[in-house]
Amino acid sequence: MAGIKMVDVKKQYPNGFVAIENMNLEIPDKEFVVLVGPSGCAKSTALKMIAGLEEISSGEMYIGDRLVNKVPPKDREIAMVFQSYALYPHMTIYDNIAFGLKMRKTPKEEIDKLVKEASEILGMSDLLDRKPRQLSGGQRQRVALGRAIVRHPQVFLFDEPLSNLDAKLRVKMRTELKKLHERLHTTVVYVTHDQVEAMTMGSTIVVLKLGAIQQVGSPLSLYSFPSNRFVAGFIGSPSMNFLDCTIAEENGNLFVDTGAFRLMLPEDKAAKVRDHGGKEFIFGIRPEDIRKRREKKESYSEEHINAKINVIEPLGKEMYVNLSAGNLEFMAIINARFPLKPHEEVELTLNMDRMHLFEKEGEKEAVAHTAKNATTLEGARLMADLDESDDD
Amino acid sequence: MAMTRDEKFWEGMRWAGFGATFLFMAFPIFWMILTSFKVARDAYSTKVFFSPTLNNFISIFQDPYNFGPLLFNSVVVSFSTVAVAIPAATCAAYAFSRYQFKGKNALMVSVLSSQFVPPVVVVLPFFILFKNLHLLDTRLALVILNLSFVLPFAVWMIKGFIDALPPDIESAAVVDGCNRFQVLRHITLPLIMPGVVTSAVFGFIQSWNEFLFALILTNQKAVTLTVGLMGLHTDKGILWEHMAAASMLIMIPIFAISFTIREYFISGLTMGAVK
Repeated sequence: MAGIKMVDVKKQYPNGFVAIENMNLEIPDKEFVVLVGPSGCAKSTALKMIAGLEEISSGEMYIGDRLVNKVPPKDREIAMVFQSYALYPHMTIYDNIAFGLKMRKTPKEEIDKLVKEASEILGMSDLLDRKPRQLSGGQRQRVALGRAIVRHPQVFLFDEPLSNLDAKLRVKMRTELKKLHERLHTTVVYVTHDQVEAMTMGSTIVVLKLGAIQQVGSPLSLYSFPSNRFVAGFIGSPSMNFLDCTIAEENGNLFVDTGAFRLMLPEDKAAKVRDHGGKEFIFGIRPEDIRKRREKKESYSEEHINAKINVIEPLGKEMYVNLSAGNLEFMAIINARFPLKPHEEVELTLNMDRMHLFEKEGEKEAVAHTAKNATTLEGARLMADLDESDDD
Repeated sequence: MAMTRDEKFWEGMRWAGFGATFLFMAFPIFWMILTSFKVARDAYSTKVFFSPTLNNFISIFQDPYNFGPLLFNSVVVSFSTVAVAIPAATCAAYAFSRYQFKGKNALMVSVLSSQFVPPVVVVLPFFILFKNLHLLDTRLALVILNLSFVLPFAVWMIKGFIDALPPDIESAAVVDGCNRFQVLRHITLPLIMPGVVTSAVFGFIQSWNEFLFALILTNQKAVTLTVGLMGLHTDKGILWEHMAAASMLIMIPIFAISFTIREYFISGLTMGAVK
């Protein structure tokens, strides 16, 4: 078992294009780490560099304590599962799984034992005589996994392994992969462009954009405390609303003014904005932090905003509502039992404790919690969130 | 679904078209087969029913025609060409397909450029060249010349097959513990076999049928079947029945090879490696 360490790793192609600039990342042993980002963020390149399939232009790459810059893939004690499965079409499933062991000159009896063991773990003992073309997508996926686990590698590398499966199977395989990780207890580096996959599978998520790490953290800390606008927008679906705003001051209180509405900043955030000193920001609020105002309860005296409903997308339990206020457009997730209709006016309240302000230049979060806060707060926040949605 | 009258008409026309084309193309072969079993007297008649004889096939191997050594030359030249061309072309195609290096495109075009030159243009320079090398009337000279057009063709053809192979399969093999050569041997080569076999057959056919160079560069020892065929155009006139028998001799191996390996032409390439 081994962790992975990248120190100032850079990837520059012969044509001068820099895919990865000074990447520093430490992946602890036995961790399930997900590299996530939109296409072109060099996440697969990073994975291939760990595998040794791509050369490192400069910097240092360690697997365990070993510097592997010049170590060929076969000697890195890694196994990789490819997006396309990359099974050997001319070999039976048995030979596909056994190939890596044969190349390593493992004795025949031992190969037989290991292949049977791996195929049992994955529940495909009865497929061993077939050829890849006779298998379904899900089964091929399993063979690719079998080929990886049979060698008992130090590190598993997964390159978008689920993206060729249909939606239902993908959800199932997600769970299976997580179970497999618990069972094998090996370091996993998993690449995906799908933030849902990243959130559900990773114990740590690394968000990448254009070859640069944006943020590293647990799924919920990224969700609740994104360090910049990109992460805020990338993690979470439907994604966070972003509205240009200015900061206004009145009677010693600070307000967020979007032009269409004005809301008071909670004290802790106001203090941070004062420290920051900026006047113009991007106001960020997640759709689920926008609620319909309940009129019956008199005690409910929050500030509210008025908006017009454009489109309603019912999902059963809740609905995605596209709204506009003035010339601003945004999205809210509202409990399905409210009888809303398109083109109606609604009164909304915003959970200002969970709002974000991003700098216009550089798009950094301006009122962020410190990282320490983030991890301790997230559990409590999640619980509070669940309670709230119950009585909504 | 039942066809409408119009559709039926056009379907009929289509088959009529196929039939006419087939007859047009098959007639010379049909004529040749019949003639090869005829005696000289019948060769000029259009008789379809006659008492067949194998004498033509026997006499072309006897004096004065002696097709035995010619057949041997053709076999040796064609097989040698393929035996050299295919391994070399496979390695070259793999390099062109999978490696990036300076001048790659220029090199690839220059490989192909030998195909742009009509053989008749270069046959005289080659004659002088081989004369100076003392290679006139040798099988080696023919192999070298055949390679000059079989090799580039094979490189391009096999490269197409390698290009179509998902690189991930090779990466998987590298992670599984192969070096480059092992990848080629265990993974790439078995998967591009249809392409390799097809190139080999095309190369064989080209060498087997090659006429011009063999005509100019050989006169006695290294004469091949195609040139020998011309020898049946004697001062006594054209010996049609012998020529037909010799033509059969040239055609049969090609048919036999194409027939045995036809499955390779049809078989799918990646066979479910990637979705």
